[in-house]
Amino acid sequence: MSRISSAFSSFFAILFRGELPVRVAEEFGFVRKSEVKPPPVVKPQPEIRTSDGALQMLSILQRDARLIDFLMEDIAGYSDDQVGAAVRSLHEQSRSSLGRYVTLSPIIDGVEGTRTRIESGDVQAIKLIGNVPASGKASQGILRHKGWRVDKVDLPKLQPKEVTVLAPAEIEIE
Amino acid sequence: MPYIIGIDLGTTNCGVAFVDPNAAADAHTPPPVTAQTVEQLTNPGEVRAEPLLPSFLYLPGPTDFPEGSIGLPWNETPAYVVGQLAQKRGAENVGRLVSSAKSWLSHGGVDRTSSLLPLAAPDGVGKISPVAASRAYLEHIRDSWNQAHPEEPFEDQSILVTVPASFDAVARELTQHAAEEAGYKNIVLLEEPQAAFYSWIERHPNWREQVGVGDLILVVDIGGGTTDFTLIAVTEEGGELRLERVAVGEHILLGGDNMDLALARTVEAQLAEKNTKLDSMQLNALWQQCRIAKEKMLQPDSNEKSTPITILGRGTGLVGGLIKTALSREDLYRVLLEGFFPVTSSTDMPQARRRVGLQEIGLPYAADAAITRHLAKFLRQQGEQFAAPTHVLFNGGVLRAGVVRDRLLETLNGWLMAEGKPAVKVLAGEDLMHAVSRGAAYYGLARQGKGVRIRGGTARTYYVGIESSMPAVPGLPAPLKALTVAPFGMEEGTDHTFPDREFGLIVGEPAEFRFFTSAVRKDDPAGAMLDEVGDDLEELSPVEVNLPAEGHAGEIVRVTLEAVVTETGMLQLWCVAKDGRRWKLEFNVRERVSG
Repeated sequence: MSRISSAFSSFFAILFRGELPVRVAEEFGFVRKSEVKPPPVVKPQPEIRTSDGALQMLSILQRDARLIDFLMEDIAGYSDDQVGAAVRSLHEQSRSSLGRYVTLSPIIDGVEGTRTRIESGDVQAIKLIGNVPASGKASQGILRHKGWRVDKVDLPKLQPKEVTVLAPAEIEIE
Repeated sequence: MPYIIGIDLGTTNCGVAFVDPNAAADAHTPPPVTAQTVEQLTNPGEVRAEPLLPSFLYLPGPTDFPEGSIGLPWNETPAYVVGQLAQKRGAENVGRLVSSAKSWLSHGGVDRTSSLLPLAAPDGVGKISPVAASRAYLEHIRDSWNQAHPEEPFEDQSILVTVPASFDAVARELTQHAAEEAGYKNIVLLEEPQAAFYSWIERHPNWREQVGVGDLILVVDIGGGTTDFTLIAVTEEGGELRLERVAVGEHILLGGDNMDLALARTVEAQLAEKNTKLDSMQLNALWQQCRIAKEKMLQPDSNEKSTPITILGRGTGLVGGLIKTALSREDLYRVLLEGFFPVTSSTDMPQARRRVGLQEIGLPYAADAAITRHLAKFLRQQGEQFAAPTHVLFNGGVLRAGVVRDRLLETLNGWLMAEGKPAVKVLAGEDLMHAVSRGAAYYGLARQGKGVRIRGGTARTYYVGIESSMPAVPGLPAPLKALTVAPFGMEEGTDHTFPDREFGLIVGEPAEFRFFTSAVRKDDPAGAMLDEVGDDLEELSPVEVNLPAEGHAGEIVRVTLEAVVTETGMLQLWCVAKDGRRWKLEFNVRERVSG
């Protein structure tokens, strides 16, 4: 197109629209700079540490059964009767609380004190004690502990933040 | 076809059950009813599906829960906490806990739409009304359902909500309002004792072999907070067995919670004798322990002389501060059986409440704790004769205990023998915590024709107050007559008009009618005029109408009254003008009813 028409259309375009007309820009080989967004800043997420899960479980047992209160108390001076009564109550609460979050079952479902065959050689699942042969394997023995296997874990999601409070202090307002 | 969902909106717990009408195994077996779990917060940050939704609402303050820990899958930032967590935290901070909202719905002495709960809230806590609390529970149930059944949205299903049989028309309408505000459509209200009976029918398809024509079934429903009695008659029509609800008792605020509290007070008194004082949190713990001890000792095979009760010490010294005591079987029977179920004669009536000059606002708990006396009154007031049931159906947590059932049967059979009638037969029911919600779902099937229905109609007689046109005496209120607008048992889908009674309403000005009900008078036909409002009539909230003043302000319109019972069992009153214009009368629940 003629220079004069380009000049006029550019003049009016810049005056009224603040930009060059497209065909003028193309003709001159200008390329519009696209907006470049800065890369999104990723906040470094705190990682979930092993201790967080442990503290979560302790916190639950304290909240539902007051287990930590019991373990931290000095019970040396109390009678068996008194401790027994407290333990009965604690046992019930702890058991039902635990049962809500974890489902456990024995690894070997047998009667302790009787002879059992040793099926798998899974070192984690079955521990051999007593006269263990050199090879470390045996076919049978006396069951001394059934073991505990975790079938299901149903704990609330862990929040990745520093956990330092196991149980809050309680203050009663008059 | 939509699902049928039954909701038991209980005083202490809500239950939900549903049935898929298309899932019938064959043409002769109705489809099975399933209980539905409700997702709710059980601890901060923890949402679980639990079998029941405790009817508790907590108004969270700024420091009650860590931020973000009360989010639900369908709402990250709810305004209230509903369910188990509300109950738990509410035990620690009572001023923000709303409980027993349902019992407030039938209390005419307060404005039920005003924000008055929790009563003991400290200044600055935003209170809510009993209707709003009921709405919150219903909304929660709806959202939890949608979460569990995304392909069957709640709004498209058929919903049944249960109410106590003793709820009057105003309380029922408030329940309906709460449901509508919660976004429910297609709602039908059903009475709880009927739902319990439907649940029994569902579990006993051979029910026709167990009851026959002429039988009278007494349903005794004792829950956590209320006691409800209903009589259902077995009649015959066209060769088919029919069930008809013939009587309903008053709303008695007495239940399992009162019994547990009575036991706790007894143990507390024993401890006080040994100079051990309990503070309020320990008393609360004692209450819970008494409930557990009571349930243990009331098991059919238990025979220990006493159950130990342990109240752990406060703070970190739980062994050191331990309080050890026991609930003896002797005390349990004395408090429970002699206190709440004494063997009486059928003419022993409950002690009436004594009026105190200044009355604090509170729920009208029954003055007499003896449930057997309330039952006697119920059976005596059905007419001249003592109503002699032939069968009895028990429902409610309290009646799980065999000892309580045996005591009730012993008392009841004693009365029947004195009247020369045979002993009652017990309709065996398993005690499911979902009996009422399951029964409601089954009733939904029955409405669609796939089961038997109990005919009911209105559970009470309703009257409108008419001021008699005698000359006014200064200082004395004008004498009031009562016009029967809805007779007892008025069926769903029927209406009554009263063309002989005309009223002149002024356009633009509200007109109010006093409204009464009677649970006792059952024979007044529609249109019958009572010369005076006696003791057997109870006043409810007045009904009012306001004719919109579309340019005719001050004009007098002559109207007659019409009473309608809708298909869903709701009573409506209308003013009808000669030219056919109609205006609905609304219950004015804001006004307090004295008495």
